[in-house]
Amino acid sequence: MEADGSGAEGMSVSSRANSLTARFARWVLGYAVRYWPEENRAWGLALAAEIDETGSVFETVRWSLGGIMLFTRSVLSSAWKWMKLPAGGSLPGGADGPEGSSLLPRRSRVFTAVVLAAAALLLALPEGREAIRTVWASWHLYQQSDSDARTLEQLADRAEKKKDASTLAFVALSTRDPKRAEALTERAVALDPQLVWVYGSTNHRPDYDPPQKDWLARLQAADPDNAVPYLLEAYALDPSSIHTLYQHGVPKDADFEAVESDSTWMALMERAYGAPRYDSYFQSHYQLTRAVWNREKNLSPAIVLSGLWSHAIPSLLNLRMFADVKIHEAQKARASGDLKRAEGLLDEVDTFGIRMADGSTTDIEKLIAWVLSRNANKEMIVLYSSSGKTEDERRVTARLDQIEERFKEMRLAHNPATSAGAQTFRRTAILVQGFGTLTVVAGFVALAAILLLELFPRTIRSAKPIWRRAASLLADYAPAVVLIACSAFLASFLPFQRVIAEYRASNYVLANEGRLMDAMWGLFEIPQYVTGVNAAVSTWTFVTEALSALLLFVLVRGFYRARRTVAKPA
Amino acid sequence: MGLRIRLSRQTLAVLDALLARPGQWQHGYSLSQSIGIPSGTLYPILMRLEKLHWLETRWEEVKTPGRPPRHLYRLSGNARAWAREEIRAAQERRFWKPTVVGQKA
Repeated sequence: MEADGSGAEGMSVSSRANSLTARFARWVLGYAVRYWPEENRAWGLALAAEIDETGSVFETVRWSLGGIMLFTRSVLSSAWKWMKLPAGGSLPGGADGPEGSSLLPRRSRVFTAVVLAAAALLLALPEGREAIRTVWASWHLYQQSDSDARTLEQLADRAEKKKDASTLAFVALSTRDPKRAEALTERAVALDPQLVWVYGSTNHRPDYDPPQKDWLARLQAADPDNAVPYLLEAYALDPSSIHTLYQHGVPKDADFEAVESDSTWMALMERAYGAPRYDSYFQSHYQLTRAVWNREKNLSPAIVLSGLWSHAIPSLLNLRMFADVKIHEAQKARASGDLKRAEGLLDEVDTFGIRMADGSTTDIEKLIAWVLSRNANKEMIVLYSSSGKTEDERRVTARLDQIEERFKEMRLAHNPATSAGAQTFRRTAILVQGFGTLTVVAGFVALAAILLLELFPRTIRSAKPIWRRAASLLADYAPAVVLIACSAFLASFLPFQRVIAEYRASNYVLANEGRLMDAMWGLFEIPQYVTGVNAAVSTWTFVTEALSALLLFVLVRGFYRARRTVAKPA
Repeated sequence: MGLRIRLSRQTLAVLDALLARPGQWQHGYSLSQSIGIPSGTLYPILMRLEKLHWLETRWEEVKTPGRPPRHLYRLSGNARAWAREEIRAAQERRFWKPTVVGQKA
């Protein structure tokens, strides 16, 4: 039978052959045919074979565009069919043979993709991102990473453009770069003089980096009734006598004399003890952090916590040493019979301790304040006892008992081993870290199994059945494990998320800081064990246990095989 | 015919063009020209008809060296009666009216 329409059209070919547009249209169609899905490539070839029959350049382009549309449709249809096959399966006519080769996974690619996408979506939710950030920070032991440093720099750049003094102050208090902190502090205080307290709060822990003299002078001028700026200046002097005072255990008279000979340090400490207020600006730092964290909800807890934890507080050694100097003076006055002076000196220490305890917002400062008061009161009991003032002795003894009681309560409340809140967080943290780790491991396993099946299908099909079955099972079930584990991870993280939300929302520092610390320490425990000083021990423990399990398996299998051989002799 | 498909106006036009010369093999480009539908619409229809076994296809023998063989189409014997019936029904419903071969639709 003769086909029609093949004569006249053919004559126009040579006249159109030189047209650049027609040549391009033909090249595009030829290119598409080369990548046409195998299952219906014949149709691509059929369509392309007709292009030489087109009557004009316009017709050629139109025919070619139709071909591209058909190509796109074929590719999408083929991709959808491919997605409906399990990992490693190929369409009929594919390079890797037909679908349904033995021992392929059962779940389709679409199912796997949907499950993994659902897991990714859960983790991409704001709650998921916060959980990841927090747990990630715990594995970095709440130390700022390079990425955190970059985040802080971006924050500073944005704040600089908006002339946002509080954010600049926040970055100054949080950055690990002392020079950058210095520049940002200057800029923040220049924009908002109310932020002068930042002068006394940057870069003190873990490495001591004393504030500049002019900063301290400005801070003292702005806040003259506060003991802390004087204590910071005394801290900056860092006299050598401080380091030698306790080197022989109980200090001797000569040691005290060496300290007292440093008149500048003594004068500063005297001013601090006499100042009517004690405020180490932690509350201001807390409020600033809270405000910025509420604005910048994506900030890593590592940035927030490391900033707060490195807040400068006066040297506790200085405080204790000066109290010891005063108590030593009181002892000398008592020995010389000047009881009034002795009482006055001890009262100074006790009053400062009470003032410091009332004005402090960190536990460590409160503890030291009570230690100062306790030491002064102990000495006062000796003083009243030796001078026969029984009533005063009883009063001070009762007060000392109160201090001891509060001291004990505080130590118990902040001991993770005894605090109920801390215990609950520790238990929940095990779930969070466990499910988090499972999500990561299952994710890698799923990825490895799927890639293995997709990239090396022939190798897998020619492998031993046990390996094929293993790869198929992993490709089938690991994505579901990822979804379940990441849901459980987010659910177990909820208590931590609530604590962070409460912390952001609260105006009151102590209770919330305590709960946040309990939560963060809970999360921190496993990473600290695994990556800390115990890392080598835990690694070798794991290796030993794994090898022991393997040995046991080999022995048990050998035993059963031997029994079977005995039971069925040849 | 056991299988039925929803027939669009374009599909009816293709069936009509194929029925115009029932036993004769036709080329894709000439079909496209006769009913005035572009290649992007024509070929999916041909593919669907072929999948349902209503369309017979074959490759033409190469006449000019260097040029690829062309694909030829005609309705299968069973499909012809069915196609006529469908065209008649569509005309009665005033859903579709035939185009004159060689004219644009």
